[in-house]
Amino acid sequence: MATGDAILGHVVTFGRVLHEAGLEIGPGRVADSLRALDAVDLARQEDVYFALRQTLVSRQDELDLFDRAFGAWFLRAPVLPPVRSRSGAEVETRVGQAPTDRLRRREEEGEKEDETGDPLELGASAQELLRDKDFSELTGDELRRLRELIARISRTRPQRHSRRRTADAHGDVLDVRRMIRRSLRAGGDPLDRPLRTRKEVPRKLVVLCDVSGSMDSYARALLLFLHAVVGTGRGVEAFAFGTRLSRLTSDLATRDPDAALARCTEAVVDWGSGTRIGASLREFNETWGRRALSRGAIVLIVSDGWEREDPELVGREMAKLARAAYAIVWVNPLKGNPQYQPLAGGMRAALPYVDRFLPGHNLRSLEELAAVLAGIERRHAA
Amino acid sequence: MVFESIDQLEDALRRADYLPDRGLSTALYLALALSKPVLLEGEAGVGKTEAAKALASVLGARLIRLQCYEGLDVAHAVYEWNYPRQLLHIRAAQEGTLREEDLFGPEYLIRRPLLEAIDSEEPVVLLIDEIDRADEEFEAFLLEVLSDFQITIPELGTIAARRRPAVILTSNRTRELHDALKRRALFHWIGHPSIEREIAIVRLRVPGVPERLSAEAAAFVRELRGLDLAKPPGVAETIDWAMALNALGRKEIDAEVVQQTLGSVLKYREDVDAVQDETLSRLVEAARAAAAG
Repeated sequence: MATGDAILGHVVTFGRVLHEAGLEIGPGRVADSLRALDAVDLARQEDVYFALRQTLVSRQDELDLFDRAFGAWFLRAPVLPPVRSRSGAEVETRVGQAPTDRLRRREEEGEKEDETGDPLELGASAQELLRDKDFSELTGDELRRLRELIARISRTRPQRHSRRRTADAHGDVLDVRRMIRRSLRAGGDPLDRPLRTRKEVPRKLVVLCDVSGSMDSYARALLLFLHAVVGTGRGVEAFAFGTRLSRLTSDLATRDPDAALARCTEAVVDWGSGTRIGASLREFNETWGRRALSRGAIVLIVSDGWEREDPELVGREMAKLARAAYAIVWVNPLKGNPQYQPLAGGMRAALPYVDRFLPGHNLRSLEELAAVLAGIERRHAA
Repeated sequence: MVFESIDQLEDALRRADYLPDRGLSTALYLALALSKPVLLEGEAGVGKTEAAKALASVLGARLIRLQCYEGLDVAHAVYEWNYPRQLLHIRAAQEGTLREEDLFGPEYLIRRPLLEAIDSEEPVVLLIDEIDRADEEFEAFLLEVLSDFQITIPELGTIAARRRPAVILTSNRTRELHDALKRRALFHWIGHPSIEREIAIVRLRVPGVPERLSAEAAAFVRELRGLDLAKPPGVAETIDWAMALNALGRKEIDAEVVQQTLGSVLKYREDVDAVQDETLSRLVEAARAAAAG
């Protein structure tokens, strides 16, 4: 049938347009959309629109893209073709220079100085020194060694009890199904009492990392830590913020730390900028908190607490966050200085909602952080 | 009941007191026509669950609902053995010999929603509510059930569906669902309704509500949705609120009555606190103006 072929051609090409725009369109979806078109009245544009949308799109955030493509393709509306989210121009106009570039140079310089030494063998005393050295004072070579140590300490994740139970000889609940089955062998007497216990699963962990100018010298070491934590498996979400929030989870999921850091550098648009902690927290609460990302999670905030704008907003958004989260841990590199007092307005406003307040300026403090995360208990009331 | 066009289904839904927009009617119609599950996503309170109830009612089908939660497992979603009964039977048969097959027969089976839906004689609409709350292991299991429409119980064998139930999944997007599950389903995003449709819904669901009151209530809720709230009200809240106002015998809204009844629209204390005094008066004025114009 001629019209049928024409429709087939249209839909297949349209599928390709969507695919190029970044939507995942497989042959199965195209086949579904043809069946759907077959079921609706082709003369009604609205029905054609929904039939295609409901079979080709499966995420709310792709609807916009679909609408534009539909307009351009079927309505011949004069709209721009959809583009993938991140354009080259955007990356170039990023505010300031990415600290990873600067630090990478530091690393390269370090390499030259240190070519004769064995990079993997680090004496106990040298390791001790490295552990206590402030991140802002590290040389390039030390940064590389640090990577391995960081990977080691980030493996411990806080656990919570799942509602799911598994067989366990030391469990706390009788496995009745198994008991009955076994009792048959003994003529109905339950000689054996198999037990079950609740499975332990990692608790959700949400990390919000400040990458504003004042945190520059700590950013790389902390990103390494983030990368290692994301690598520990499911249920870890990482975000960076300066003046606005960027989600880093998928960028950090790359196995190679250098590649991951490079991708983060591209994803974050406001490296080394000012800090709007309150506004960033609000953005998090609104887009991610509402989707219950923070519910029951440990929220780890890494920031020096310098709020450029309204400290009151920081307090309000921290209160919201604290209600949803299981516990909030705030890591402030400045706290490494014994003379430090949380006087910055943003920090003062946030503290009442913080369960644990830790330094994060050197490796030893990250070790402490890992220990705290592994054994954290909820302090604030629900 | 078989529907031959989207219009037919839409009319039937209207008669069942559910006002779908064209997109939702299309999704439900296609779910029936292509016998595919449909995944409904949207903010809380936009009528996802109601849509399944309405569909069951127009199809003359039984609605079977599986409410998902974290840790949901086969024992609660599909079937479980009735242990007390099995134990009693063992006791009773103490003298004679008892075979294992006697204990694991259909009479000792407790049937949970998924098995009920598969094994039903009558037509069924299966509502799998808030699938995003179940954990990923369960999602994988569900995927299997939704592709074969059969369930295997080791002791009894495989039970295949006599007729495929219409399946509606809902999600509040607390997490992203697995791609494989999404590929298998039609996807429809339900947004907040247009103001005209919201007024129509209120008038349909709140018998005897004055026209003016329903317009003002809908307009006020619309204003609320424009604010920065922890939980913006859905259609369900508009209906509750209009009911409350109607029960108080109001013909229109003013700052005082809104103040008294705000709790049925806003469910968080901080949201109620954010809508006070000047903000409240301003919104009431805006809503009254919108409803009048």
